[in-house]
Amino acid sequence: MNNIVELEKIKKTYLQGKVDIPAINNVSLSIKKGGFVAIAGPSGSGKTTLLNIIGGLDQPDSGTVRVDGEKFETLTPSRLAELRLFKIGFVFQAYNLIPVLSAAENVEFVMLLQGIPKKERLRKAHAILDDVGLSGKYNRRPAELSGGQQQRVAVARAIVSNPSIVLADEPTANLDSKTGQGLLELMKTMNKEKKVTFVFSTHDKMVMDYAGRLVRLRDGSIFDDQSK
Amino acid sequence: MYSQLAWRNIWRNPRRTIVIMTAVIIGVFSMIFLCGLMRGMEVEMIRNNLATLTGNIQIHQKGYRADPVVENSMTDPVLLENAIKTNLPEGAAWAMRVRVNAIVSNARHSTGVTFVGIDPAKEARVSFIGKAVTDGRYLNSDDTNKILIGRALLDKFKTKIGHKLIVMSQDADDEIASTAFRIVGTFRAEMESTEKAYVFVTLSDAQKMLKLKNGISEAAIAFKGQSIDGQKEKALAQKLKSRLPDSIYKVETWPELLPMMREYLSLFDNFIYIWYFVVFIAMGFGIVNTTLMAIFERMREFGLLKALGMKPVSIIRGVITESFFLLVSGIIIGNIAGIITVFLINRTGIDLSALAAGVEMWGMPRVIHPELWIIDVITANLVVLVLGLVVSIYPAAKAARFTPIEALEKT
Amino acid sequence: MMSVNVKLDVKMAWRNIWRNTRRSVLTISAICFACMILVFMLSFQLGSYETMINASVNMSTGHLQVQSAGYHKKKSMRLVVSQPGEIGGILEKIPGIAAYTFRANAFSLVSSNKRSRGVLVTGIDPEREACVSTIKTMISHGRYLEQSDTNQVIVGNLLAKSLRVKPGDELTILGQGRDGSIAATAVIVKGILSSGIDAFDRSTMQIPLQYFQAVYSMGDAVHEVVITAKSLKKVSKIKKDIQKGIDAAGRGNGLVVLDWMELIPGLLQGIEMDLVSGMIMYLVLIIVVAFSILNTFLMSIFERTREFGMLMAIGTTPGRLIKLVLIESMSLTLVGIVLGIVCGSLITLFFQSHGIDMSGSSEFMKQYGIPARLYPRLSLVSALVGPAAVFVITFLAALFPAVGIRKLKPVEAMTHI
Repeated sequence: MNNIVELEKIKKTYLQGKVDIPAINNVSLSIKKGGFVAIAGPSGSGKTTLLNIIGGLDQPDSGTVRVDGEKFETLTPSRLAELRLFKIGFVFQAYNLIPVLSAAENVEFVMLLQGIPKKERLRKAHAILDDVGLSGKYNRRPAELSGGQQQRVAVARAIVSNPSIVLADEPTANLDSKTGQGLLELMKTMNKEKKVTFVFSTHDKMVMDYAGRLVRLRDGSIFDDQSK
Repeated sequence: MYSQLAWRNIWRNPRRTIVIMTAVIIGVFSMIFLCGLMRGMEVEMIRNNLATLTGNIQIHQKGYRADPVVENSMTDPVLLENAIKTNLPEGAAWAMRVRVNAIVSNARHSTGVTFVGIDPAKEARVSFIGKAVTDGRYLNSDDTNKILIGRALLDKFKTKIGHKLIVMSQDADDEIASTAFRIVGTFRAEMESTEKAYVFVTLSDAQKMLKLKNGISEAAIAFKGQSIDGQKEKALAQKLKSRLPDSIYKVETWPELLPMMREYLSLFDNFIYIWYFVVFIAMGFGIVNTTLMAIFERMREFGLLKALGMKPVSIIRGVITESFFLLVSGIIIGNIAGIITVFLINRTGIDLSALAAGVEMWGMPRVIHPELWIIDVITANLVVLVLGLVVSIYPAAKAARFTPIEALEKT
Repeated sequence: MMSVNVKLDVKMAWRNIWRNTRRSVLTISAICFACMILVFMLSFQLGSYETMINASVNMSTGHLQVQSAGYHKKKSMRLVVSQPGEIGGILEKIPGIAAYTFRANAFSLVSSNKRSRGVLVTGIDPEREACVSTIKTMISHGRYLEQSDTNQVIVGNLLAKSLRVKPGDELTILGQGRDGSIAATAVIVKGILSSGIDAFDRSTMQIPLQYFQAVYSMGDAVHEVVITAKSLKKVSKIKKDIQKGIDAAGRGNGLVVLDWMELIPGLLQGIEMDLVSGMIMYLVLIIVVAFSILNTFLMSIFERTREFGMLMAIGTTPGRLIKLVLIESMSLTLVGIVLGIVCGSLITLFFQSHGIDMSGSSEFMKQYGIPARLYPRLSLVSALVGPAAVFVITFLAALFPAVGIRKLKPVEAMTHI
């Protein structure tokens, strides 16, 4: 069992107005443990939908999804939420953080949900913020952090409890190229040091270059898949 | 144009509009309904009080009211009779009475009562007693030494219809007069205290016993229906006063006769107005808050309108027009709901007999039929509408102060 | 998975409240206003009830009475409490009793030079009576009775007026003794009573008990043993103790113990009715406030849909989210409630020491024993009952938008504008 993600013949259509728009069309994909995978494609190619399906946020019309051995279609919504909480980390394009909580508290919040005791939460939150290069900024609120720093907090939150996989939907889309590069370096480091599997979507050439494996989507189908 | 725009604007967020409108509806409904209940109670209280031997107007010998004794009687009622007969309005009735304190007793019991001599036919049109007899019979004008007493008094004395009671009182010669009367019937009243307080005999019996000749204690005039403000009474009282020398006669309207009642009514009125105000404030916070939410959401829009050259006054007018529609819609629904409820309950009434002792303590009627007064409905609606518009000025002014740049910066 | 630590939840809620200061301040004000009104009004109502009960109890009935069974309804001369001294002995041993006295009543014809009236003449023990009722303090002319007085009376001012007597004048009393014999005597008016309650001032005439017993052939018997308790709360306990004491002395047969609620049933029901109608009004007020602030709760959820989507995506269960939202709404409510209780209590305390002038309605209020200045009375009950009701109803209002979160789907929520 070396594959952390296994997708089999995934189909998903959206109803827009009265027309069915196919978003994912017969996609099968396996991702190995420890991978650093980019899913690339122009906007509307189905990247986000695919990530949402892997993350259990969205359900496919047909096909099966397995993450870390769990078959999604057999899970109840609350089991699914628990799975997301313990095994999947998320980094979104924007609106990642709870605005009223500080950087450390945002990281703490996930651990609070996991039921980790207060002391350990604090220690781990501070340690992971140090790892992502935010030492000394524990008590800043999201509004007091730059865009890049906010995304770093999001990464810290995603990896703090050692998930099986981190899903990042265009994490650099709102950042300038230098900051984006820094974030990717960070993700790469975390991928190597902490052995966390990363799957991220992008339409940025520079970002694709960082990937260990590049899966290209067009109109909901994989048309290119190569490992470096 | 403005009103159409405002109407559409309030329905941009229907849920929010419905919530705040519900607050207005419940507020207005409660104002109208609770006020209706109180008015129903007031009217019933006045009706009971007037029927319990008060009438709308009474005429006495000067000094009788302070000291209701035989020597303060009107010895020659002819002048009085003429004055009343020539001025009596359509549908009104009048009666003369002898009314003094007395002691009634039988072998075992005795108690103090108000002893009333009445003209049975005339009295029936003036006070409650004509319709209140439940056992035995009412008095006839040719009865001699017959007495009508309250059910509660009959029970207290453990006596029966047909048995005798002795009535003792002071007569015109300052002697204690004592006469035996046979009970012909019993009456019931709204209040148990009324049943214990009054005993009735014929006018001629009373005059004979008290050696009054033609003398009477009071004349009472009753109108059809009643007027709460006592204006009709005042007009008639004025006419009577001009016919009767005020060195001997005193003409009084019911608000003068029942000062307690008058105070009670004004207490009611004050209470209603305070209540209106309190309910309004409760909904006022919601109105301001909701309007604020609505304008902050549309900050960009207001900025744009201003950039396009719209004057602040026009923006204020627009926002206030929206409040106006919101308030008017709520008021209309609240009124309809309140009026229908009052109308439905008016037919059956709310029965408070289960709390008889409490009802009696406050002098309230046993069954309340809520009723609507136009003036209360108008006041309630005006309070909500006018104050509602006044508090809307704050968010409206806020909207007018958004500068185009500020508004565009805020996304 | 429920939290070991709610601190972060509460912190979050608290900070969320102040994201929109203006809105929160208005919402808190609405709640504060409602609580303030409720605290003040309830204190006012409960305060006047206590005044009314005390007025009635102190002026006439006392908290408790021992009577012959049936006397209260029939007021018959023959239904007496014999050997009242023995009952007094029983009462002495019961804790919580402030004072007791004996009374006897007879309906009689009272005449002055000019006038006659039917009056209920009451025989009182001057010293004991002064400890039980406020009659001694109500003497407006002349003097109160003394223990050694015999054929002296005190008379209500309206009765005195209608009999046309003043202190020093003579009255004759004509009635029926306990044994059916004629009871007649002449007495001197010693004092005039003014209570302000017309019904009382028109009907009260009191003579010394020993003299009463002699005139009306009562022997040592009385009609009422009137008892006041040290506090209203102790009445039911004392009532049981008296009943036990009487039974133990073998006097249980034929004697009953009545409390003030049985002696003046109208008072309790009148109070209940006033309270219930008050409750209906307060409920309406609270509901209007609830709808007034419901929009705040709705809005604070609606405008944060994206945030909730993100929270759900990272694994927050809907139940947890609802809890978070409710903590937030209720923190806001609690601030309003606490402020309301504080403001309401301060206002109440101000009027508690200064009184509220009701002189516009004084004639009317007087008849219920309510003085022209009313003093609300702040108590734990009056300060907390209203706000508690506000809390419950606001909670329901907060629950309505909160459960809507269940229907939220993370993907849709996150793309919500």
